[in-house]
Amino acid sequence: MRKFAIISLAMALGLALAVGAQAADTIKLAVMEPLSGNFKDIGDRYSEGVKFAAEVINAKGGINGKKLEVILVDSELNPAVATRKATKLIMQDDVRHFCGGTGSSVAGAMEALNEKHNTLFFTYGMAAASLTGDKCNRNFFRTCASTDMQSYALANWVAQKGFKKVFCIAQDYSFGKEAVAAFTKKLKELNPQAEIVGEVLHPLGTKDFAPYVSQIISSGAEIVFTSNWGNDLTLLLKQARPLGLKAKFAGYYLNDDLMIKAVADDEAVIGSVSAEIYMLSIPGQANADFIAGFTQANGFYPTWLRGKAYTATMFWAEAVKKAGSDKVDDVIKAWEGLTYDGPAGKWTMRACDHQVQQPVWIAEIVANNPYFKHAYVGPATMVAPEKVSVPCEETGCKGFAKK
Amino acid sequence: MKTLRPQIMAWVIAAVLALLAAPYLLPPYQLRLVTEAVIFSLYAVSYNLLLGYAGLLSFGHAMFFGVGAFTTAVALNQIGGLSIMAAVGLATLATLLVGLVVGLLLLRVKGTPFALLTLAFNALFFAIGVKWHTVTGGDDGLNIALPKLNLGLAVLDPGNGPDIYYLTLIILGGALLFCWRFTRTAMGHSVLLLRENEERMRFLGYNTNITRLILFVFTGALAGLAGSFYTILNSFVSLDAVSIDMTTKVLLMTFLGGTGTFLGPVLGSFFYTYVQDFLSNLTDNWPLIMGVIFIVMVMFAPGGLSGLGQTLAARLARAKTTP
Repeated sequence: MRKFAIISLAMALGLALAVGAQAADTIKLAVMEPLSGNFKDIGDRYSEGVKFAAEVINAKGGINGKKLEVILVDSELNPAVATRKATKLIMQDDVRHFCGGTGSSVAGAMEALNEKHNTLFFTYGMAAASLTGDKCNRNFFRTCASTDMQSYALANWVAQKGFKKVFCIAQDYSFGKEAVAAFTKKLKELNPQAEIVGEVLHPLGTKDFAPYVSQIISSGAEIVFTSNWGNDLTLLLKQARPLGLKAKFAGYYLNDDLMIKAVADDEAVIGSVSAEIYMLSIPGQANADFIAGFTQANGFYPTWLRGKAYTATMFWAEAVKKAGSDKVDDVIKAWEGLTYDGPAGKWTMRACDHQVQQPVWIAEIVANNPYFKHAYVGPATMVAPEKVSVPCEETGCKGFAKK
Repeated sequence: MKTLRPQIMAWVIAAVLALLAAPYLLPPYQLRLVTEAVIFSLYAVSYNLLLGYAGLLSFGHAMFFGVGAFTTAVALNQIGGLSIMAAVGLATLATLLVGLVVGLLLLRVKGTPFALLTLAFNALFFAIGVKWHTVTGGDDGLNIALPKLNLGLAVLDPGNGPDIYYLTLIILGGALLFCWRFTRTAMGHSVLLLRENEERMRFLGYNTNITRLILFVFTGALAGLAGSFYTILNSFVSLDAVSIDMTTKVLLMTFLGGTGTFLGPVLGSFFYTYVQDFLSNLTDNWPLIMGVIFIVMVMFAPGGLSGLGQTLAARLARAKTTP
């Protein structure tokens, strides 16, 4: 009998501990990023952007009088891990808002989870077009460019410069394929004279680019399109110049300062261009203020991912403000159609697929820049939102199921 | 021994009652953990039938778990109007077939070559998962919309915590009972014989290859069943389900719980699920701690948790009898 009493007491205690409800005078935003492993540096930079946004928001008194609390979650870049941790946050800690930027696989899993629990997820970095295309759902928002939009921007630039011979090189998985397909499609549309003189899909994590580079050289290409990122971009750039490639690159992610530092050969990057939704060199007071504030608080520049995550979080906060509540249904309704004029230009959240309509910025990598000793982005020029937009009917999003 | 019987029965009844009452006692997240632990229990028990009972060390159990998990998702996505139970049935059937084909190929090898070949097959299935993008979704995995399950008397919603819990408990609990019965049958005994002395078994007139094949197919199908429920619980499946990690997981659970008893792996899967949840709250480096626990267990308590429990019980009993 005594044993039974002890056991039931222990169980009751366990229950009480588990339930432990806490008061809700904060808005919780969980950031799902790889904070360990190979992509830690990507996850860290995104997190820094979100954290700074929270500092700015809280310094101004929070959102609707509530403080914003950022919870960093290590997704380990594994959808199973991410959903397990997110489920716990939803069920036990009553977290209703999530964001993340790394790994379309994580995004897919989070989309399902957020739909199931009616929570909200916004991404500032996951680019796979399908996320707001055939996989689109009501609880998922994208505040960055999709592969389609980023490729369209580069196609615009390539067409405008009048290049005739273009080579495409990308990583052999869904992202790389999507990027090349969108680029080729748009370029044909804008400049039928331009010719794709070669296309290579190489395995992720390639170490030796020599065979591909010689293929590019012998094709006589004037410009090389690439959506590569990480080491696949660093090594491609690093090896191309010594092998004698004269053509420049038009790439997704050349404005990554760490990558340029790793290439350690400014000549290999100067003259190439990058297309992104955020860059340090975007003109305007809003961006100047943001850079000044961030640099003062952290001691380094809000390059690339940091800027993307910051701007996205501020946009989300605007939606919560407009909704007047942090209830997910209210925020979704408020965000649809909302316009935000931030550091990276005017953004509008499209209601049909929850894909933001925004300008994409293009900048050439130059030797002399105000930010770093090594080469980095020169002045950014804008490719207007309507030039990179994918019409609602073409996204593959069949509309959202009404709740 | 006879005096122990009613006590054990009482414990079993208490455990069953506790499991049935869990949705009323536990907060939603804890209930979900229990559901997950039940799913992994079947997975680990099926693995232990190979390892503990037949002495076959396999490094490829995740291929069954993964095939079950992916078949469920693909079936629900591609076949309109398919009921959940039909998808589970299809998944189990698919794993059964996979077990049969792989089993036939592995029939003649034992020991280390068997272990390595199962590892190779696991890698093969993982590669299929990565590359066959149009069907498996590759790196992106597959989302599924779960249809409600109409049982005539009641409609179950697998998206709802208590509903999926009861469904899992009844079906996987049934499968566990079936496994337990299996170990008591003549077939079950012949599996033990396989482990102890295969040569002698052959002399006695058994076809050991058939025994091994049946066991391989049977445990594979059980793992597939567990995988199927794993997909339903998450309404999502990713490559994680067919990865080497998933094999390591079942190995850990089984060893932690103990390979010597039927219930050891069940204990192991509950232990693993809860400790993982607890540790990942404290640190992102939880696999490190889990690894240390594993090493310590293997070195100092090779019988696992159930072995520890037995030793303790025996000591207590001795302490009671000595005046």
